[in-house]
Amino acid sequence: MTAKSVGNAANNTASGTPDGTVEYAAPALTLGDKLSRAVDHFRNEWQLYVMLAPAVIWCIVFLYKPMYGLQIAFKDYSIFRGVAASPWIGLEHFETLFGNDQFIRAVFNTIKISALNLLFGFPAPIILALMFNEVLHAGYKRFAQTIVYLPHFISTVIIAGIVITAFSPTAGIVNTILGWFGADSIYFLTKPEWFRPIFVGTGIWQEAGFGSIVFLAAIAGVNPSLYESAVVDGASRWQMMWKITIPSILPTIIIMLIIRIGNIMEVSFELIILLYQPATYSTADVVNTFVYRQGLQSGQYDMAAAAGLFNAAVAFVLVVAANSLSRRYSRTSLW
Amino acid sequence: MTGVRLEGIVKAYGRIQVVHGIDLNVEEKEFVVLVGPSGCGKSTTLRMIAGLEEITDGTLHIHERLCNRVAPKDRDVAMVFQNYALYPHLNVADNIAFGLRIRKTPKAEIAKSVSDVAEILGLTEYLDRRPADLSGGQRQRVAMGRAIVRHPKVFLFDEPLSNLDAKLRTQMRAEIKRLHKRLDVTSVYVTHDQVEAMTLADRIVVMNKGIIEQIGTPMDLFMNPANTFVASFIGSPPMNQMPATITRSPDGYRALIDQVSVPLHNSLSVSEGQDVIVGIRPEHFSLKNDGGLPAIPLSLDLVETLGSEALLHATVDNQSVIVKTDTNGDISQLSNVDTVYVPPEKVKIFDAGTGKVIS
Repeated sequence: MTAKSVGNAANNTASGTPDGTVEYAAPALTLGDKLSRAVDHFRNEWQLYVMLAPAVIWCIVFLYKPMYGLQIAFKDYSIFRGVAASPWIGLEHFETLFGNDQFIRAVFNTIKISALNLLFGFPAPIILALMFNEVLHAGYKRFAQTIVYLPHFISTVIIAGIVITAFSPTAGIVNTILGWFGADSIYFLTKPEWFRPIFVGTGIWQEAGFGSIVFLAAIAGVNPSLYESAVVDGASRWQMMWKITIPSILPTIIIMLIIRIGNIMEVSFELIILLYQPATYSTADVVNTFVYRQGLQSGQYDMAAAAGLFNAAVAFVLVVAANSLSRRYSRTSLW
Repeated sequence: MTGVRLEGIVKAYGRIQVVHGIDLNVEEKEFVVLVGPSGCGKSTTLRMIAGLEEITDGTLHIHERLCNRVAPKDRDVAMVFQNYALYPHLNVADNIAFGLRIRKTPKAEIAKSVSDVAEILGLTEYLDRRPADLSGGQRQRVAMGRAIVRHPKVFLFDEPLSNLDAKLRTQMRAEIKRLHKRLDVTSVYVTHDQVEAMTLADRIVVMNKGIIEQIGTPMDLFMNPANTFVASFIGSPPMNQMPATITRSPDGYRALIDQVSVPLHNSLSVSEGQDVIVGIRPEHFSLKNDGGLPAIPLSLDLVETLGSEALLHATVDNQSVIVKTDTNGDISQLSNVDTVYVPPEKVKIFDAGTGKVIS
C-alpha cells in the first residue's frame, strides 16, 4: 500500500511502505516563488558562484565562442567578407573532403594511430602503476617514479629532437646498436612502415609515467584490509593484483578509457608535425595535420573547419557510445 | 590442548616497542576477548597471531605448532575485520567463496560450502547481491561467512562490531555467541567495548600500554579486579575510585575519604596511615540500610534515568561518585537521596602507589 498525501508534508506518515517511505506530492511553485528561492540561494551561496566564474568564463571564451566560427564549414568563407557575410553552400566542403584521397587517408591514419595508442598506450600507465605498487623499497620506488615522470615535463620539440637523434642513420643510438649486430643502418623516420611504431612508442615513453599517477592514486585508495584478508585466505601477490587491485581500480580505468576514447581523433598533432615528412605522409598524415596544412598553409579555412567538425563529431559519437556501454555493463560512467 | 599460546611476545616498530612480552594461553574451543583502550596493543597482538605482523620476539604456537615464521595462509586461521574487508566487485557468494577459490577447492565443494554457510548466517536470499547493496549487519554476516567457510582452527575477530549501530551490535553479539557455540572453534576477539567483552568471552584479557593487566572470566574481572585500571575498564559505569587513608578504630580498619570514614573488611592486609584507593562499584551501593550497613553521606548532583535503573551522580567529600540503583518504576524519591550504604566486603582497596588490589 502506498499512502498519498497532497500538498502538505505534515500529513505524511511513515506507514505507507515497508521501508517507511511515502509518496509525496510537492506543492506547485509559482514563477515568483522560484525566482525568490533562486535569489535567496544566490545570496547565501554567492562565494561558490564567484569561485565558479573563472571556469565558466574560460569555457565561454575558449570553447563556446569559437563555435561561432564553425559555421564556415557550411559557407564559402572569405576572410574579406567575414563569417556572417560569406554565402552558405551547405555540405559542399564535406562532399569535397570525402572525395579527397588525402583526407580519407588522414582519417584512416588517425584511426590506425589511435587504435595503436589505445592498444599499447592506454594499458602502459596501468601496468606501470601496478608494477610501482609492487615495489616495496620506498626509496627505489620514488627514484623510479621520478625517472619515468620526467619525459612528461620535457617540451614536445625536445622530445622530437631526441627521437630524431636516437633514430638518426649516422649517429643514432638505435642504428649504432643495430650496427653492433652487423645490421645495415636504417633511416627510420623516412620509412612509412616505421612511423607508427616510433610515434606510439614515443608517446608511451613520454606519457606512461605521468599517466600512471592517476592509477597509483586509485590503487592507494584500495582498502588495505582487502589485501590482509586475502593474505589470510592464502592469496599470492599475483592473485591479489588480479583479484583485488585491478577490479578495485576498474572504475578509474573505465573513466580514463572513456576520456581517452573522447580524444581518439586528437592524436598528438605537434609531435606528428615535428616527426613526419612527405616521405611518411602515407602513414603519418592525420586529420589534424591535414587541417593544419589546408587551413593555415593553404588558406582553405572553410575546408579545414569542415574537417575539424567531422573530427569532433566522430569523437562525440564515440564518447557517448563508450559512456553508454560502460554504464550498461560496468555501472561506471562519466555522466 | 592449547588453541593459541603466546610466550613472551614482543612487537617493536624500529626502536618503538608496543607489545612488551605478553604470555597468554587460549584453550582449544575457548572464546577469549582481548580488551583495552585504543593503542594498548590488542589489535597488534591479534595481527601477530594472524601473521599480518611479524613477531619481534617470543613464540607463538597455534595448536601446538610453532607459527612465528609460518605464512598466514598456512596457520589455518580466519580473520574477520573491523570494516568487513568485503570485495566490492564480488557478490556475496563470490565473497564467501574467495578463500576456497584461492585454495583451488573443487567447484562443487565450493557451491555446497557457500550454500551451507549462507544457510547458517541467513544470507541465502542475498547471495547474488554486492556488498554495496547490503546493510551493515548483512555485510558483517558475509565477513563471518568468509571466515567460517574455510573451517579454520582459529577464528580471529578484529573489532567486528564497531561499525554497527548500538541495536545491531547487540543483535550481532548474540549471533556471534550462538555461532561460537555451534561451531565450537577457538576464537580470539578484539574489542575496546567492555560490554562486548563481558557478554561474549569465556575469558577476558585486559590489556593496557602493551602489557596484560589481568586475565580472567568476566565475573572474575568484574568482582575481583587486579588493579585500578581493570577496575575502571570493566563495568559500566566503571568502579568509583576515591583516594583515602587507612585509619584504625576499635572495630577494625577504616578508609578515611576526607571526612567520610568507610569501614573495611577485617581480612584486608592494610596498615594504619597507608594511602590507598577505595573502589566501590556503582551497583554495590544500596539506598536502604539493610542490616546495619555503614552509611556514606553524599551530595546529589544529578539523576540519570535509564528506565529500570537510574544513575545518581553525586559527590562524597568532593570525590565524584556514581550510584546505580533500581528504579522499580518510580524515580520520585531519588532526588532526595543524601546517604548510601555499602557492605564492607564490597569495598575494594588498591595501593595508592602501584594501583594493585590489596587482598
